[in-house]
Amino acid sequence: MDHLFALSVAVPLLVAAALVGVKPLLSGRRRMLDTVAVLTAASVAVMLLVIMVQTDGGDRVYWFAGFRPFRGVVIGIDFEAGPLSAGLAALAAVLVTASMVFSWRYFERVATYYHALMLTFLAGMTGFCLTGDIFDLFVWFELMGVSAYALTAYRPEERGPIQGALTFAITNSVGAYVSLSGIALIYGRTGALNMAQIGAYIGRHPPDRLVVVAFLLILAGLLVKSAIVPFHFWLADAHAVAPTPLCVLFSGAMVELGLYGIARVYWSMFGTALGHRAEISHVFLTLGVLTAVVGALFCFRERHIKRLLAFSTISHAGMFLSGIGLLTPLGLAGAAVYVAGHAMVKGALFLCTGIVLHRLGSVNETWLHGRARHLRITGVVFTLAGLGLADLPPFGTFLGKGWIEDTGSAHGMPWLMPVFVLCTILAGGAVLRVAGGVFYGLGDPPSEDERMARAANEETSETDADKRRTPLTMIIPPTVLVALAVAIGLTPLGPAADAAAVRFADQAAYNATVLRGAHVAHPVAPFAAEAAGITVSDVVTGLVSAAGALLLAYLALYWRRLPVLRRGYEPGTGLTTLAEGFQSGVVNDYVTWMVFGLACLGGVLALIIR
Amino acid sequence: MFFAGAAGLVAFYLWGLLGLPGFGNYPGPYGPAILRVAVAQTQATGVVSAVNFEYRGFDTVGEEFILFTAAAGTAIVLRMLRGEGERSPVDEARDRDAPPTSNAVRTIALLFTGPVVVVGWWLASHAQTNPSGGFQGGVVLATAFILIYLAGAFLTFSKLSPTDVTDAVEAAGAGGFAAVGLAALFTGLPYLYNYLPLGQIPGAVSSSGTIALISFFVGLEVAAAFLLIVSELLEQTLLIRHGGR
Repeated sequence: MDHLFALSVAVPLLVAAALVGVKPLLSGRRRMLDTVAVLTAASVAVMLLVIMVQTDGGDRVYWFAGFRPFRGVVIGIDFEAGPLSAGLAALAAVLVTASMVFSWRYFERVATYYHALMLTFLAGMTGFCLTGDIFDLFVWFELMGVSAYALTAYRPEERGPIQGALTFAITNSVGAYVSLSGIALIYGRTGALNMAQIGAYIGRHPPDRLVVVAFLLILAGLLVKSAIVPFHFWLADAHAVAPTPLCVLFSGAMVELGLYGIARVYWSMFGTALGHRAEISHVFLTLGVLTAVVGALFCFRERHIKRLLAFSTISHAGMFLSGIGLLTPLGLAGAAVYVAGHAMVKGALFLCTGIVLHRLGSVNETWLHGRARHLRITGVVFTLAGLGLADLPPFGTFLGKGWIEDTGSAHGMPWLMPVFVLCTILAGGAVLRVAGGVFYGLGDPPSEDERMARAANEETSETDADKRRTPLTMIIPPTVLVALAVAIGLTPLGPAADAAAVRFADQAAYNATVLRGAHVAHPVAPFAAEAAGITVSDVVTGLVSAAGALLLAYLALYWRRLPVLRRGYEPGTGLTTLAEGFQSGVVNDYVTWMVFGLACLGGVLALIIR
Repeated sequence: MFFAGAAGLVAFYLWGLLGLPGFGNYPGPYGPAILRVAVAQTQATGVVSAVNFEYRGFDTVGEEFILFTAAAGTAIVLRMLRGEGERSPVDEARDRDAPPTSNAVRTIALLFTGPVVVVGWWLASHAQTNPSGGFQGGVVLATAFILIYLAGAFLTFSKLSPTDVTDAVEAAGAGGFAAVGLAALFTGLPYLYNYLPLGQIPGAVSSSGTIALISFFVGLEVAAAFLLIVSELLEQTLLIRHGGR
């Protein structure tokens, strides 16, 4: 059964090559093309779910070409899968399947290439999650990146997509090359590329400067991919121009994969070697909280619905990073569940936006005000997903965030909870404001911001099909995703997620599994496993966040009719005037911020670990 | 601000580089281990190729598909848009002649085409005996086609490499590699396991099992991908597109 490891990457690659190879035969046979692609993505999802269930008792290792470690020295490449890595890959595959169903008969013009690239994108994400080799990680990271750049630029007749794709490609490539130079440094130090082997080697010595520099450089590409402030600028620009089904993958999986990479790199290579756990945790938390706040503020003032959702993703990425950055198993488990719940509701939100774009040809919140009343089902799904984004129990989101907050409180950071609740209220309120205004025509349309309106109006319809109706293939995927989000919240995931996270964070067990083929079922973790379950405080915070978001949405919609304080102030404006100049759309500025951020982080790390 | 950041980053990087082990002081277990086992295990004397296509062959699958994806991406961005037509350019300034390709360029380009094909083919098919292989061979093979273009024959060039055929060859190369690896699974062996007979003499052309086969597929893929990218770019430069949205 271990062959599933190889098949989960090889099958989508092979199908992608086959689709391009028989391209002339497929023209005009659109249904066949769609069916093959959807079935491939769905079969990969099933394979990965099977791997996830199989590894519940203990991680499994697969050695490509059969090269097992030779007297403890790794000469081949391995896949190392546990429930968290396989689960994240499965999540990505589910989202790809949903997007492919949604884009049934979408994109008439570049049909074959679109399908092939979606499949290579999926293979890249799967390989990235499962690999146990740092260079292999980079290879799949690049495959994922190149597929994503190409798909973003799918409408070259317009200026926006080309520019957004270029910004995306340049910033992410710069990050990737910095990561590659970090990999070169760590290879220079250890002569190994297998993560377990590197971890075992550098763990035997006190941390030296080379290891510190390599750590930061490897993180650079991952921080860019996961849109952590100040590496986040490309994300909103790319989301604004990318085809909507692709946004689902960017927000729901790609950003989270970057964060997974950070956790993987830390826990399987550098955790033991670097030491200074508390200080490194503070660095991650600072980045995470900053990202959560900046993303939430930008989200609230946005009027371009796709950009608004993208900024909410940035805010969530910050919260995920905080969960990972607490550097405890429960924080990690919380982040994992939060990622799963968020992916479902965010995917549903983007797909509903795609329906609006298909039917009404716009993503401008102001213009759309009250115009989508007739899209009843879409409106209900969008609103439900918005409530899910605001952490309303029983959507899976409230569980994950609750665990992160509990861990924070247990480690002397009780302020984490109010900050997160505030960020959730801002982002959730913005999405619910869109829901109330666009789908139900409540209150007044928000004021037109000239720059935003121009950007939003550039977005034209992506579809070629009949615009007078919503095909079933468009409305079913978001509905299913919302249902899955509820299912995640209702399943008693606690013990399984916690056990998986304990194992993920146990470097000794990881090394034994990879290097000696040991089957580590219940490792002696460095921390006592904290209990993960649904506590009253999780439910209460979730309810408070959702209520706050609803209230904020109400205030934003009815602001001008309120008797007090209506002096022409528009909610949201002014919040971010300072930061507005930063989001210039000019790639030079973005790279400057990246370099600056890396230099600052380097200085901080150098001071911590000398 | 960029310079301040860059200076800080460079300083940090150099600070770390000071910790590198000295030149020629290879710390790790990987190199010695490979050198000890590679020739015996694979019968390939091109140990670099053995690493590329066997020990770390799975990386190479990924790399090959990156190139495949890049070529597909170029095709997406530079494709002919709906409603656009194509025509050859006509010199608008009628009173001057376009300089013809000089005979020297023509002769040399055509003279080199044959040898370049041979060298490319040799590189792609001798990965097992020396550090060549499909990547290098593929690029050289693609050069042969570009030489034909240099000789001033764009039409011959496009006839020799019609996009559909190049696409199919590229897909065959990429898919062939993935399929060679997959074939191992049917007999219960791990992905990319070297299941072909390895031969008796290390360094013989027929030695090394799947390494030679994979290198050949990589050569196909790389040559076709380069050709595809170059011909898309040439089309973009040499033909005028009109009409559009």
